[in-house]
Amino acid sequence: MEQELSYQLTFGTYADALRMVGAKNEPRTAATPVNGARIQLFASMVHDGNRSYWDTEFARQRWGGLLAPPALLMGWLVPPPWQPGGRPPAASLALRVPLPGTTFINAANDVEFFEPVVEGDVLTAVEELVSVSPEKQTRLGVGHFVETLDTYSRQDGTVVATSRNTLFRFTPGAPS
Amino acid sequence: MTGEDLDWNEITVPVDLPEVIDPISYQRVVENSGATWDYFPGHFDPEYARGQGNPTIYVNTMHLAGFADRVATDWAGPGSRVVRRSMRLAGSIYAGDTMIGRARAVGKRCDTSKDPPRYLIDIEIQVVNQHGALCCPVELTLQMPNVAPDR
Repeated sequence: MEQELSYQLTFGTYADALRMVGAKNEPRTAATPVNGARIQLFASMVHDGNRSYWDTEFARQRWGGLLAPPALLMGWLVPPPWQPGGRPPAASLALRVPLPGTTFINAANDVEFFEPVVEGDVLTAVEELVSVSPEKQTRLGVGHFVETLDTYSRQDGTVVATSRNTLFRFTPGAPS
Repeated sequence: MTGEDLDWNEITVPVDLPEVIDPISYQRVVENSGATWDYFPGHFDPEYARGQGNPTIYVNTMHLAGFADRVATDWAGPGSRVVRRSMRLAGSIYAGDTMIGRARAVGKRCDTSKDPPRYLIDIEIQVVNQHGALCCPVELTLQMPNVAPDR
């Protein structure tokens, strides 16, 4: 099923994972430019009436165009759910870390936004594997924390944001 | 900037922000996948979510971040912009839960390392559910519209 393929995990041991620390992926560029339709779909989902997302004239004067909601940053780099010729393999480096865990959940996210991202911008991201924790037991199961650092730049090369993310890659099960 | 924005000069910290309450229906969680293109099955397939040890589907990181940003910018005005956000996902917001944002502005700084200087407000936000459980503590910094320098 496509949703499974889109989150296909790589399996291996903790030692395999540690060998990957420091790896970076090739730069990935968003499938679509930042655009008003997705800005407003996201703001609608959040129930956010901020004029920067809705009022074209206000946003043009303040930001140079409708402002991309900062919270949607990583969404621009997610491939669409289907594409002609097949969906590209899920690119997230964090999921390609070889580990035993059968699923994952996000644990922490720290972002800095250096420049406003506005409609028309085309974002490119580079992901780096920063660290993989030793095995930990949480309420959800046993697994490892995987920390990545994503650097986002726009079409003129300016770095607009960095995002440090930690996810928990685990196998479900109650503490024994 | 527009009269809708708070004036950095006139903000006294600490100050509590208005509480924001947002009931999260199944539809909202599904909208979340549609808007973010994040089709991880824990966000739309209750059976998958239960297999992970969760009671049902839950909102993703981008939705929680968007809610935190909304709490901050609803208060400060549309001329403000989030320049930093640090969040910890301590618990999940599930379909059927209510998301409650409680926030306090705790710091006020002028960052003169940039030209022009940046006028910043530091905000601490707690996203809790209807049971009062802390699901997501957030630290966030807003850059406010430039103000006339004190000269």
